[in-house]
Amino acid sequence: MQRIKRNLVLLVSSLLLLLIWQVGSMMLDSQILLPGIPPVVQALRSLIEQPPFAHNVLATILRALQSFLIIVFSATVIGVIAGRYDYVSVALRPFVTTVKAIPVMSIILLAFIWFSSGTVPLFSAFLMGFPVMYVQIEMGVRQLDRNLEEMCTLYEFRFSDKLLHFVIPSMTSWFIAGSRTALSMVWKVVIAAEVLTVPQYGVGARMQLAQVQLQTDFVLSWTLIAILLTALGDLLFDALVLFAGHLKRRLDAKGVPCNFSK
Amino acid sequence: MQFLEVSKRYEHNVVFDHFSLDIPPQTILSVVGPSGEGKTTLLQMAAGLLEPDGGSVRKEKSEEGSVSYLFQECRLLGACTVYANVELALRSSHASEAERRSIALHYLQMVGLSDSLGLYPAQLSGGMRQRVAIARAFAHPANLMLLDEPFQSLDIKLKFSLVDAFLELWEEQPRTTLFVTHDPKEALMLGDAVCCLGDPKEPLWYQKIDIPRNARNITDTVMLGWEATLVQTLVNA
Repeated sequence: MQRIKRNLVLLVSSLLLLLIWQVGSMMLDSQILLPGIPPVVQALRSLIEQPPFAHNVLATILRALQSFLIIVFSATVIGVIAGRYDYVSVALRPFVTTVKAIPVMSIILLAFIWFSSGTVPLFSAFLMGFPVMYVQIEMGVRQLDRNLEEMCTLYEFRFSDKLLHFVIPSMTSWFIAGSRTALSMVWKVVIAAEVLTVPQYGVGARMQLAQVQLQTDFVLSWTLIAILLTALGDLLFDALVLFAGHLKRRLDAKGVPCNFSK
Repeated sequence: MQFLEVSKRYEHNVVFDHFSLDIPPQTILSVVGPSGEGKTTLLQMAAGLLEPDGGSVRKEKSEEGSVSYLFQECRLLGACTVYANVELALRSSHASEAERRSIALHYLQMVGLSDSLGLYPAQLSGGMRQRVAIARAFAHPANLMLLDEPFQSLDIKLKFSLVDAFLELWEEQPRTTLFVTHDPKEALMLGDAVCCLGDPKEPLWYQKIDIPRNARNITDTVMLGWEATLVQTLVNA
């Protein structure tokens, strides 16, 4: 019942958003300032029907995925080391603080001076996402329960068991929080960098070209696609987390002897 | 196990100063004392987690090697099932999975948890969690057992049922045990001897309890006398 109510509220608020859009468009009465829903849907359909559509979307997805995976891997490794060794954390602090404070646009513009247009989104997304994930992982390592660590030592846990049953489960919530935030940041930065650098393929590049030609309906269509990509990415990530949790519980259940009689 | 002329200080606080104590093998020594008088320090030195500043901790051959530690908190792995929490503590000593399974199941059955093997610590009550910790401590092949107020913060009924579970397991395989508690009754009911800390140089009070454990009754006049002396010592400490 609660779920139905929540979904109903969600549906009503979404419809309200569309209504505001449509009413706004009718009031402005300008296809350039704000086109209504039907022209945007039509533009979206024509976009999807054109062959470079898949190329553009795929290029953005690949860039986002590549930078996300690089962030996850590097931030995890460096975050664990920094969490464990204080002097590494101190040495990295100026870098992390600087990167966190630099405006996204500065990074993109600087990267555009240094790299080719295809690399800029990757580099910018990495620089923006890395500190977020790194901070979470470092915190996770620092917050590891010292009492449980002592227990593992006293009960002579093997290194692999300690890692698998104590360290990784304790780090999971930090890892998920860090990678979820990094992922949503990566989409935004990749598309922003594509807008500024206009690579051959990419959602952001198409958005920029449509804007130059004052095709607001196409800009909005690409924006809708960007929103959809972010939402799908989040959904896929949540599904992956759910699946991993489910798999772990199934494996745990398998490890428990069931033919035991009192 | 013997503490020989042990000294330990934390900055200006002298906890032990040439302190000696003898614990006969396969007996339980109950350790009571006011807070901050070195009960946990004594356990940590026995476990080898803390080195004394002076003197030494000598262990019998049968007490050497690994230790089992029962903490105030259960210290269970939240991501592991009840069964895995016990089985993991056996992996370093038993290579055979079948052997580990049989030992873990034996101890879990003895603490009455054979129906909860697949549950996670968060799904258990406080008493059940402490039972898992007890099963793990006994399943772990150690000849020295250290208990740091494991029955504290439990209601009296639960406390007695856990003490019973503990004693049943201990009688099955007696090990040299240091039992730290704040409760004089608990100390007298469980220990083969009771030692009250409070003076860095020597125990404030040391009493051998020569009544068999299963014949002890806290309303017995001798036991009541000891309890009164212990309480008096603690109050004056």
